[in-house]
Amino acid sequence: MAVAPPTLKRTDPRPVVVDGADGPLLVGIRCTLCGHPSATSPPRCARCGGETAEARFGPDGTVWATTTIHVASGVREAPYTLAYVDLDDGPRLLAHVQDGPGLGLRVAERARLTGETAGGDPHVKVIR
Amino acid sequence: MSAWIWGVGTSNFGRQTDRLPAELAWEALVEALADAEVDGVDAAYVGTVFGSLGVAQRALSGVGLSGIPIVTVENACASGSTAVHEAGVAIASGRYERVVALGVEHLTSLFKGPIASDPTDLEQATGLLFPGIYAMSASRYLHEHDVTIEDLAEVAVKNSRHGALNPRAQRRQALTREEVLGSKMIAEPLTLFQCAGLSDAAAAVVLGPRRRSRRDVHLRASALRSGGPWDHASEHVWGFDVVRDTAQDAYAAAGIAPGDADVLEVHDAFTIGEVVTLEALGLVEEGGAPAAVAAGELSLGGTTPVNPSGGLLSRGHPLGATGVAQVAELAWQLRGDAGDRQVEGARIGVLETMGGGTAGLDGNACVVAVLEAG
Repeated sequence: MAVAPPTLKRTDPRPVVVDGADGPLLVGIRCTLCGHPSATSPPRCARCGGETAEARFGPDGTVWATTTIHVASGVREAPYTLAYVDLDDGPRLLAHVQDGPGLGLRVAERARLTGETAGGDPHVKVIR
Repeated sequence: MSAWIWGVGTSNFGRQTDRLPAELAWEALVEALADAEVDGVDAAYVGTVFGSLGVAQRALSGVGLSGIPIVTVENACASGSTAVHEAGVAIASGRYERVVALGVEHLTSLFKGPIASDPTDLEQATGLLFPGIYAMSASRYLHEHDVTIEDLAEVAVKNSRHGALNPRAQRRQALTREEVLGSKMIAEPLTLFQCAGLSDAAAAVVLGPRRRSRRDVHLRASALRSGGPWDHASEHVWGFDVVRDTAQDAYAAAGIAPGDADVLEVHDAFTIGEVVTLEALGLVEEGGAPAAVAAGELSLGGTTPVNPSGGLLSRGHPLGATGVAQVAELAWQLRGDAGDRQVEGARIGVLETMGGGTAGLDGNACVVAVLEAG
């Protein structure tokens, strides 16, 4: 199946999210030597230095940690909630949590990648 | 051959909006040079993170230090301690005979709120900010261990009691647990008083070979590492592994065990930072730091006082100056010059500084050093 190349955001370091058949997918890389996945797309594996190939991950994963930021930062109004989500068989993704504070997101809960916010941040929602 | 600390000096710490960065550095340099009883050095290493172009030369030329090799170091919050480490290596290798390490930072002229890393960094571009990095560690730590947010707050309570005894500290008020937890929420679960505030300051250390002086403090060993990858495959929270590995390098080079330290200055930019660091240093077992804090073991008067200066939380955290200020505090402690916050009979001091902010790495840099009374 042919897949469209991700849109490169050359001045934006945030990961790329594209639509897949079963929902949004993170575009990253997997090492061709050791299989280690990454949410960014460097030419060599951070773990073993092996060559990398594009790979897609998600949409489901597990919350590793979460915080709600209560101070404004540049373009974002506070508060907003962030989570590190370890995508199944994939990398750790830093994402905004859909619906934001008050959700009661907890460590070890399941979460699903739901796309990007209007501002271009990857976002997830909790699966209960 | 090894390196000795001949003299130390610092400015006051705090929001000093009416002072130029170079003026703060002049205070530190004048004090350190007088303390070392020298009027010149052969080279300078200068740590600064957000220091503007030429801040090292502006600072050094103001005390008659020009025409010498000057190297400016950016290693995030470990910039100052990296400068000390490199100065020590330069002395120990015989490259130079007298070297000054300077740290200088003026954050209030650059930031209004929390410090952010570079906008091209993935995590900063996503809005994590520095408090968020540590808040994530706190979130995970509280999940993994039988520890509460009240336990974390006790680190700030301890260091505020110490800072109240330090005339140069930024926060000189002893805080209660209720005051720490009741302060403004910054990044859950970290409240304002669990975060080091914006600070302006400078610190300087003059190093050289051994002299006939009991006042000189032996830099018995120092180690520098950068962090390896930090991601879903990492076993520990952010920063643990690089601190553990750097500490093991320093302990091995100094020939000491973690328990040999009489006093420590460690990187408590946030309460959770001190907790994770103490465990990574091997001072307490994993998950055990909050209990050690609660038992008073790490307070002045306890078995192993940690951050008698008040730490980054209370003395202040002017990024590039922090590591050099840690050396100054330990030098005062090991000479018996620390006044009301003196750790009685301290012979061995350990310092740790960890700088981070690059997504995907277990810290940008970590320095651990072992100092011994002369």
